Amino acid sequence: MPSFQLTVNGRVRTVDADADTPLLWILRDTLGLTGTKFGCGQGVCGSCTVHLDGQAVKSCQTSLKEAAGHAVMTVEGLSKDGSHPVQRAWLAEDVAQCGYCQPGMIMSAAALLRHKPHPSDRDIDEAFADHVCRCGTYPRIRKAVKRAAGGVK
Amino acid sequence: MTSRRDFLKVTGAAGTGLVLGLHLEAKPTPGEAARAEFKPNAFLALRPDGTVRITVSKTEMGQGVRTALPMALAEELDLDWSRIEVVNALPGPDFKSMQTGGSTSVSSTWNPLRKAGAAARQMLVAAAAAQWKVSLDQCRTEKGFVLGPSGQKLGYGDLAEAAAKLPVPKDPPLKKASEYRLLGGRMPRFDGPAIVTGKAIFGIDVRRPGQRFAAVLRCPVPGGQPKAWDDNKAKATPGVKAVVKVPTGLAVVADSTWAAFKGREALAASTTWDEGPGKDFSSVALEAKMRAALTGPADEARKEGDVDKALAVAARLIEAEYSFPYQAHATVEPMNATVHLQTDGAEMWTGSQSPNKAQTTAAAALGLKPDQMKLNVALIGGGFGRRLGTDFSTEAAELAKAAGGGPVQIVWDREDDFRHDLFHPATLHRMRAGLDASGGLSAWAHRIAGPSILRSWLGGQKSPGQASAEANGALDIPYAIPALQVDFAEVEAPTPLGWWRGIEIVPNVFARECFLDEVAHASGKDPLQLRLDLLGHQGIVKFGRDEADIRRLKKVLQVAAEKAGWGRKLAAGRGLGLACHAYDGRTYAAEVAEVSVQKGQLRVHKITCAVDCGFVVNPSGLEAQVEGGIAFGLSALFTQITWDRGRTVQTGFQDFPLVRLADMPVIETHIVPSAEAPSGMGEPPVPLAIPAVLNAVFAATGKRIRRVPLVSDSLK
Repeated sequence: MPSFQLTVNGRVRTVDADADTPLLWILRDTLGLTGTKFGCGQGVCGSCTVHLDGQAVKSCQTSLKEAAGHAVMTVEGLSKDGSHPVQRAWLAEDVAQCGYCQPGMIMSAAALLRHKPHPSDRDIDEAFADHVCRCGTYPRIRKAVKRAAGGVK
Repeated sequence: MTSRRDFLKVTGAAGTGLVLGLHLEAKPTPGEAARAEFKPNAFLALRPDGTVRITVSKTEMGQGVRTALPMALAEELDLDWSRIEVVNALPGPDFKSMQTGGSTSVSSTWNPLRKAGAAARQMLVAAAAAQWKVSLDQCRTEKGFVLGPSGQKLGYGDLAEAAAKLPVPKDPPLKKASEYRLLGGRMPRFDGPAIVTGKAIFGIDVRRPGQRFAAVLRCPVPGGQPKAWDDNKAKATPGVKAVVKVPTGLAVVADSTWAAFKGREALAASTTWDEGPGKDFSSVALEAKMRAALTGPADEARKEGDVDKALAVAARLIEAEYSFPYQAHATVEPMNATVHLQTDGAEMWTGSQSPNKAQTTAAAALGLKPDQMKLNVALIGGGFGRRLGTDFSTEAAELAKAAGGGPVQIVWDREDDFRHDLFHPATLHRMRAGLDASGGLSAWAHRIAGPSILRSWLGGQKSPGQASAEANGALDIPYAIPALQVDFAEVEAPTPLGWWRGIEIVPNVFARECFLDEVAHASGKDPLQLRLDLLGHQGIVKFGRDEADIRRLKKVLQVAAEKAGWGRKLAAGRGLGLACHAYDGRTYAAEVAEVSVQKGQLRVHKITCAVDCGFVVNPSGLEAQVEGGIAFGLSALFTQITWDRGRTVQTGFQDFPLVRLADMPVIETHIVPSAEAPSGMGEPPVPLAIPAVLNAVFAATGKRIRRVPLVSDSLK
């Protein structure tokens, strides 16, 4: 089994697994970081969104080989205590219903606001185009992104 | 309606503080009087350190029960909300009715939870009063403390031991709504902080020492079985530990989910199937059968007057056929369950809306007594009725039996979910209305044809309540019409069926409210005015087992119409449409949709919803249910499951176009204040979205859409 090195939430990790293994399963099953969710495995629901070198990517469509040597951040690494501006905005707007898709939504929101601190409604539409929330938290997601606007470094 | 008597008793052992069990006794049915059955449905534990544990007996799936239910108890007990711990109940002798569905969690626990809080409060006050040698009415409570007349102050934790020795008050007085500090306020979700940090544990996140992962290769045709297979390639897949036969197919057990999926892929290539009796089933053939059943014999669900005669003598007859497809629950968290078989029993972790049934069926599969199966209810990543089913939890128990050893987690993938859902079935609706010489609605006939969810749920048995269950939303049409008939013609289908958010009410109210809109236009009446006229001066009306207060429905309709600006002039290509319903006769809701159609493209701009669900426990939770219910209903305007050669054509979100953030209209919620007891809000907003939108499409374009899903070129 080949060995790969990647940085996850600031910590260097060495993983022995097949090169094609999706990053999603390395995070969930190998490293025990279950905050990143499995929704479709087909790249169309956004539940597995993480940051790869600061960009939002779908971890079910990112192989271990592609992630190796890069910095991965999951929802667990966003802050120590839920104090990231996006997390605080999410709580202030009481966004979550079942909560399952929310880590992916939060990671996309954080990436969006880092690149565009004051996104337009159209920017928000585009950032969440690949995300599904079956509970329908969309109106509050939009509000929370606007609330967090300007606050993400 | 079951009437209930509440029983409270102290159940804690000495030294553990005050543990108050709340027991509900269902009114015994005749012949059962001697066997009084106690149904505990909530636990409260006050610890000596002042922290409070509240056990919730309903499953959290996003509807907010882990917030709303503790609020009711905490209110009466005057708890400090920040010192509450909320835990999920374990099914068993203490919790026998944990089923979570039908928008009933708040209404069924509202009184018992408040009484549990009030009784505990009274005992704590009595303990403090005795210690201070003052009278009870000289004491008050606030945020976890009893306060005495001369500045005395004791925490509940300090009083718990003494309070536990006192008799439990049978019928403690409850607060007036004007005294509420928590109830009626906007309370954020209890699990919010855990969710936004990724710490919330759903069933799929359960990790036990030595855990293995499994994926089951199932026949793409529900009910089919593997005929022949070669498991050598699967077993040679890195990480795969075993391939075992289970009743639902072939399970690949591995040391990671991915290895199980890869092993299953290898196994699929070498497996042939006996596809079973459903192998030729198709949506096209079903539709032909349903259409034939629109005019054949049927089971009556409601009959008032002589419809045939009234239609025959009508000055004008209006007829239409409405169509609604199969639908999938499509929860974002796929089905999963983790089972650990031990020497003297087993433990399971799963997100279940039917924990008691999940426990007993899994125990039976393992040859255990229910009390040997400890079932831990995990957070649910979307339920919508799908997790009322126990197919996935039983499958996990079967696998644990076949695979042996330590804990094993079955994970379904998205295709498994779309192929093996417990589907909401398709229906056709034959609608007929008669107008008298003055244009008044004199007759209404609604024939529903389709498979029966209830029969599938009862394992293939036809129940006497079948027609009324399948006609829910049609038979309780709230409008006063002299001659009225609603019936259900069953058409059998080999597919597993189950309830879905909004149940049969979604297709039935779609057909009813759109067809009424047709009647309004045919008789030259405004759709709002026609509804108001037909609701008329009715008071409480009985429909089968339910009854509804039509005045409350009329009020929400008026509020929604007024807030949406019904009747105002709109630009060309823009329209307003409305729909209303009294859901199970308990929750009254009306929605007005504002849409535009430009170059054949529909855009839903706004949905204004007015609701009366009795007292609102948590307005933030209520608004979330309206927003989410509308998103669910609106998605169903675009999604469908179709069948070909016995299998679903759709296999994932890529061909099941759920509403996304960019499609979501502005939702405006108006609560009609009510002093009535709370009812439920999980489902009532769902069925109104489609008819409100399609009626608005007609207003905007003059095009009447009678078929769901809406296909894009139908508006060109």
